[in-house]
Amino acid sequence: MKDIDLEVKHVTRVEGHGNIIVNGKEGELERVLWEVSEAPRFFEAFVKDKPYTQLAQVTARICGICSIGHALTSLKATEAAMDIEVSERDTLLRKLALHGENMQSHVLHVGYLALPDLVGEGSVIPLTSSHPEEVKKVISVHKLANELSRLTCGRTTHPRRLIPGGFSKLPSPLELENMKTKLKESVPVLQDIASFVKDLSSALPDFERETEFISLTHEDEYAFYDGKIASSDGDITPVDDYLSVTNEYVVPQSTAKYTKNNRKSYMVGALARLNNNYDHLTPLAKEVAEDFGLSPVCHNPYMNTVAQLVEVVHSVEDSLNIIDDVLDKGIEEQGLNYQPDIEPKAGTGVGAVEVPRGILFHEYTYDDEGRCTEANCIIPTNQNHGNIQHDMEKLVPEMIGEKSEDEIELTLEMLVRAYDPCISCSTHYVDVEFR
Amino acid sequence: MKIIIDGEEYSCEPGEKVYDIAQRNDIYIPTLCLNELNTEERPAGCRMCLVEIVDENNDEPNLESSCSLPASDGMEISTKNKVVYDERREVLELLLSEHLQDCRNCGISGDCHFADLSFEYDIDGVSVCSECPNRKDGCFLSREILCLGPVTHAGCNAFCTRNGDPCESCFSVLSNRDVLVFGLEAFEENGFTREEVLEGTKVFSYEDVQILKELMDEYDLLNKEVSE
Repeated sequence: MKDIDLEVKHVTRVEGHGNIIVNGKEGELERVLWEVSEAPRFFEAFVKDKPYTQLAQVTARICGICSIGHALTSLKATEAAMDIEVSERDTLLRKLALHGENMQSHVLHVGYLALPDLVGEGSVIPLTSSHPEEVKKVISVHKLANELSRLTCGRTTHPRRLIPGGFSKLPSPLELENMKTKLKESVPVLQDIASFVKDLSSALPDFERETEFISLTHEDEYAFYDGKIASSDGDITPVDDYLSVTNEYVVPQSTAKYTKNNRKSYMVGALARLNNNYDHLTPLAKEVAEDFGLSPVCHNPYMNTVAQLVEVVHSVEDSLNIIDDVLDKGIEEQGLNYQPDIEPKAGTGVGAVEVPRGILFHEYTYDDEGRCTEANCIIPTNQNHGNIQHDMEKLVPEMIGEKSEDEIELTLEMLVRAYDPCISCSTHYVDVEFR
Repeated sequence: MKIIIDGEEYSCEPGEKVYDIAQRNDIYIPTLCLNELNTEERPAGCRMCLVEIVDENNDEPNLESSCSLPASDGMEISTKNKVVYDERREVLELLLSEHLQDCRNCGISGDCHFADLSFEYDIDGVSVCSECPNRKDGCFLSREILCLGPVTHAGCNAFCTRNGDPCESCFSVLSNRDVLVFGLEAFEENGFTREEVLEGTKVFSYEDVQILKELMDEYDLLNKEVSE
């Protein structure tokens, strides 16, 4: 076979900078590399010395997509460090906020970033003329997700109402009732989207590599906001011991750290959650999963996109339950500009929340004035980098000789996209180079 | 007959308004109440077209609205000097104080004469407090929670305070020093320390920290020990 010599630039539809490099000579594969070239962000350094009231606001800026997730993880870490109580109602509303973000992010990824690959287009724009009704449906669900985020957090991105100890402002019962109606109306729309994706799902590569999946898990619910760290290899770890799971290490080709637990790498995200918590999915979400033949444990990373779709349905159904629950319990007026009474104190706390791309950890240490002395954030995409690399190492040899350069390139890009990586908060490109 | 505008001579008709003479000769005079829908009526309502009638015998500047000022032979007019500029700016500030403050977020921004003039005259004397729903009751400052609204550019429609959180000055501090000093005084009266105010400002801008620091020194504000 001839040498592979191909260079593609400005391939879109992932967040951040990453390169795929494949070198091959005379049919012999020399190198497969997943490179992350993003500059370090230093958030852990610049929250140092900041008062506890500012941390959630600052760390939410790590990501423009998962800002609610970062804010909640940050608040959980702060609340754990200072033993701050959060009421049952506020916990429910936070779960609702998280569902809003989960839907926002998943719909964006499935509908705008991954779907074009399945249709064979370069972006979502051509789909607006070839499949206008389907695209409109995707947009309508995305809009609904934005509204849910605004309802709970004050705005669609970068939440404002989430504060240590609860909420600075609550949604009104009327607003929640209206949201309920809209969520109910979205169910058939989502089912249509699911069947549309189902018809195209044969375009998803049939690739498997046995993988360890890490996510939160909870006895009573499909874990997003609360739980312990579960590995598909069977072990359960308390959140406080997260470092024994993540085991970060540095590799030369990446500015992002890699992680490993029981094996040489692990995967986090929708597929990991679904594999570990399948039984807690809501009934309609399970139906969608069954339609796609998606059941635990699925080792095909390309199915992450489908798992996201299943989770959107779960988020809608679970949001309806949460709203009912909150309305049953009643929302009392907490007064203008509510700020809970908090006595800052020294301590260390860990927060772990399932954000759209997987499990997210924040850990803070505070001094007795409530100023942060040390911070650590481990972001889902970092935990996936190692797994992307190892998937590629297995996938490329399977394709060489079987597929054309263009097909190999597309399949690798699709693999990266399947992980829905948020390599940074800026949207740039994957640069695929065949040398 | 002749009239002198900004040192140049122009011919005109008796009784012709100074504004119209200027228009005819491409001399720019701003106006808000005179527009394509309203050319005949001269309510002289907005006062933005103020010009100075130059009179060397009089020490006090004689300012008139040019749209309603009839020209007389030999009249000397100045449309561009500091007195005129300052007066127009003040007029604009007063008009803007009654206007919705989120000009920057307005849909017709870029196609709005009012907004254009605010930029031209660098008006930013209005703080977040002017938009804040809590400015009468429930001000954060009176509840010992630092809110940077008093020193911060309006224009967000007080988004954070509407959502129950204090302002963190993401629109950055005003350039109008009088208003800044007024805000710093409010912090001092409510018992905040210099460190607290500067730390709050630091979240979004180190440059703003420097601006406030200099003002605090210059006006000797927030320098005293807080009495417990």
